[in-house]
Amino acid sequence: MTERQAPFILFQIADTTYAVHSEAVQQMEMVEHITPVPNAPPFVEGVVLSRGQVIPAINLRTRFGLEKKPYDLRTRLIVVRSGERTVGLIVDSAREFLAIPPEAIQPPPDTASGMSERYLEGIAILDKRLILILNVDAVLSIAPSEELHLAEAIAEVKDALLAEENPPA
Amino acid sequence: MTPASTNVFTEFLDDYFAECDEHLTAMRRNLLTLESLAQQERVDVSLLDELFRSLHTIKGLSGMVGLAEAEQLAHLMESILRALRRHQLDLSDEAVDALILGTRTLEQVIATRQTRQPLPDIAPAIKQLEAITGPLPDLPPSPEETPTAATETRLPLPRESGPPAFTLREGERAWLFQFTPARALAERGISVDSIRTRLQEIGQIVHAAPRIQDGGKVTFEFLVTTDADDSTFTPWQEDGLTWAPYEPPPPTPAATGLKAVPTPSIGPPNVVRVDLTRVDDLMQTIGDLVISRARLEDTLTSLARHVPAAQQRQLQEINQALERQLRSLREGVMRLRMVPLGEIFERMKFVVRDLARERRQEINLALSGQETEIDKLVVERMLDPLLHLVRNAVSHGLEPAEERLAQGKPAEGTIALRAATAGDSVIIEIEDDGRGIDRERVAEQARAQGLLDAEAPLDDPTLLDILCTTGFSTRRQADRASGRGVGLDVVKKTVEELGGSLALDTEVGRGTRFTIRLPLTLAIVDALIVSVGGQRFAVPLPSVREVIEARPKDVTVLGNEDEMLSYHGDVLPLIRLAARFGLQEQFERAFYVLVAAHGAKAAGIVVDRILGQREIVVRAISDPLIQVPGIAGATELGDGRPLLIINPAVLIGSRR
Repeated sequence: MTERQAPFILFQIADTTYAVHSEAVQQMEMVEHITPVPNAPPFVEGVVLSRGQVIPAINLRTRFGLEKKPYDLRTRLIVVRSGERTVGLIVDSAREFLAIPPEAIQPPPDTASGMSERYLEGIAILDKRLILILNVDAVLSIAPSEELHLAEAIAEVKDALLAEENPPA
Repeated sequence: MTPASTNVFTEFLDDYFAECDEHLTAMRRNLLTLESLAQQERVDVSLLDELFRSLHTIKGLSGMVGLAEAEQLAHLMESILRALRRHQLDLSDEAVDALILGTRTLEQVIATRQTRQPLPDIAPAIKQLEAITGPLPDLPPSPEETPTAATETRLPLPRESGPPAFTLREGERAWLFQFTPARALAERGISVDSIRTRLQEIGQIVHAAPRIQDGGKVTFEFLVTTDADDSTFTPWQEDGLTWAPYEPPPPTPAATGLKAVPTPSIGPPNVVRVDLTRVDDLMQTIGDLVISRARLEDTLTSLARHVPAAQQRQLQEINQALERQLRSLREGVMRLRMVPLGEIFERMKFVVRDLARERRQEINLALSGQETEIDKLVVERMLDPLLHLVRNAVSHGLEPAEERLAQGKPAEGTIALRAATAGDSVIIEIEDDGRGIDRERVAEQARAQGLLDAEAPLDDPTLLDILCTTGFSTRRQADRASGRGVGLDVVKKTVEELGGSLALDTEVGRGTRFTIRLPLTLAIVDALIVSVGGQRFAVPLPSVREVIEARPKDVTVLGNEDEMLSYHGDVLPLIRLAARFGLQEQFERAFYVLVAAHGAKAAGIVVDRILGQREIVVRAISDPLIQVPGIAGATELGDGRPLLIINPAVLIGSRR
C-alpha cells in the first residue's frame, strides 16, 4: 500500500520555493485593496476582506527580513487557516499545486541558528528543485516584535544540503 | 383520568414532539458531517458526543410517552455511538449508513405517532443496526440509563414551561409537590401514577412537570390546589414526596376574572426556539442587503445628471423607502438576538453569596435594570468581565464589618449592579460602598513600575489605565476572590473589543464605581465616514456628540504642545487622528473635529474631511496582529475595500 501523496501549494519569495499544505489554504487572490492598519507590526500590510471576514495581510518578505518589493501582476495573497486564525500571506508568486510523495520529504537539516528546524516542517527535493515546507503555525505564533531572519536560515539550509551532496574532500 | 390531566397529557405530547424535532434536526446535521468523515482515522469526538446526547434525550423522552419503537431505535444507535466513542468500532460506511437509516426510521416513528397513523416497520433498521452492534461486547446499561420513570408512567411531561395561572377557591391553598421515583419506592408500589392518584384525591392537579436533574434523574413536580390540611399528607413524606407552599405569581390583568380551571392550550406554546446561527445567517444577509442598497444609492447619485428630474425623484423615493424597510427588517432581526441582562445578574447573586460566606461578611447585592436587553453575543462575552468586577468589588472594595462600623457605615456592604439603556447604548454600573481606591498607593506602585511620571497627576481615567495595565497589582498576595480569572486589563480589552468603553469613579472611604458602556447591537450601526491622510475611516454615530468645522487659527497650543479648541465656553482638548495613526493630514483651509467623550473626559478628534453618513456593517477584528487600540472593527461600503472603524472612547481614554 502506498501512502497518499500530500498536496501542497507552492509559492516563491526571493527566488526560493516554499510549500504550504493545500488543505490549510482557503483561497488565493490577486492583491488588491489592502487597507493599512495604523500602529500594526511592520510586516502587517493591513487588512483585507476574505469571505466577509477581516483578516490581516502579512508581507512574508518583510516578515522574513527581506527587502520589500512592489506588487506586480504575479503577486498573490494566499489565505491560510492556522488553528482559529485566518491570515493572508503576500508572496511574490504562487502558481503551482503539487503532490509531494512522502518519501521525498526529509526533516530540515540542523543549522547553526536553529531557525530552519523551528519554521520549516521539512524540505523536499523534486527534480533537483529545493522546496521548503513552511510551518505556518510556527511562523504565525512568534511574537510580532521578534525578528525572523528566515533568509539567513535558508542560506544555511542550502549550504548544509550542498555540504551533504559534495562532502569536503 | 380527569379532564384536566388529559389536557396536561396533550400538552406534554406537543412538547415531546417539539423537542424530538429539535434533536432530530441536530442529528441530521451531525450525521452529514459524520458521513463526510467516514473511513478517517480521527473523528471529532464532540460530534459523537452531540449525537449521543440527542439520542439519549430522545430515548428518555420516548420512554416517557410510551413510544417503545423509538426508544429501541435510539437505544441501538446509542450503542453504536458509544462504541465509536470508545474506539471499539471503526467509522465504516456501513456504520454511517446504519445510523442514517436508523435516524430516518426514528423520524418516521415519531412523525406517525404525531399524526396518529400506523407505525412504520422498524425491523429493517433494527436489523441493520444490530448488524453493526452485534460483535460488540454486551454493554450493561448503567443505572441512570434505565429510565425508571419511563416504566412507571406513561405521562409525558414538559421541561421548561411554567405553571399555568389558577384561581384558589375559598379555603384552598396551593402546594408544590416533588417526587423522585426510585427503585426502592417502586418495589413498594409507589410510582408517579400512584402519587398522582393520591394527589387527585385531595385536590386538583393544576400542573405537572418533570425536571431532569444532573445525571439524568427525573423529578416530577405537581402543583396542587387543595383545601386539605397539610397534616393529611405529612405521612407521605416517607414515600419520597416533598412539598412546599406555592406562591402564585401576581395574576396578569387578562388572567383575573376568568374561570378557575386553566384553559387548555391548543398546540405548543407560542414560542419558537431558534438556533442562534440561523439568526446570524439572517443578519449576514441583511448586512449584504445594506451594502447592496449603498451601492444602489451610489449608482443613483452618479446617474443623477442623466435622469429627468421627475424619474429621479421617484427613484430617490424608492431608495428611501428601501432604506426605511431595511432598517425595520434589521431592527426586527436584531430584537431576536436580544436577551435580558437579568440572567447574568442572577448569576452574580450566587457569586456574591459564596464570597460573603467565605469572607464571613454581610453583603447586599442590589440589582436594578435586569430587564435591560442586549445582544446575546455581548451578554456571553460580558459574563467573565462582570464576574471579575463583582469579585473585585468584594475583595478590594468592601471593608471588614468592624472597619465599616468604625467609619459609621452599616456593617453590611452593598454592591449595586445596574443596567439601563441610553439611546443606542447599554450602560452597566458596578458600584460598591467600600473603601475606594487609594490613589497614593497606586501612584507609588505605578511610579515604581515606570507607568507614571513623577509629576503627573492621577485622575480617574489615568488611574483606570494604570489599573488596567497587564500585570499591575498593588496586592502582593492574590486571594481567591480577585486573584484568578481575568484581570482588569482583560475587562477593558473585552469591553473595547465589543466597541464599548470602561470608566471609573472612585472616592476614598466612599466607594468605587465602574461604568461600562456597550453598543446595543454589534452588527449594524450608523456611522460617519471621514477621511484622514487620504485614508477613510468610519466613526459610529452614537459615539459622536457633535461635529465642528475648525481652522488652524482656532486652535490654542499649550506649553506641553497639547492643543485646545474653545468649545461652548470651555476648552476641548484635541486628538489628531493623523498623528495617532502615523498619517499626514491633508485638509485645505478647514478641518473637522468630532466631539466625543470617555466617561467625564471629552475631547475632539481631528479629521480632514467628513465624507458622509452611512449605515455600516461591523465586522469584528479577531486576529491579534490587527487588534490596535482605538480600532473597533472594520466594514466595507460595497466596493470591497475595508474601512477601519474608530472607537473614539478608547482614543480619548488612552490620551496622555
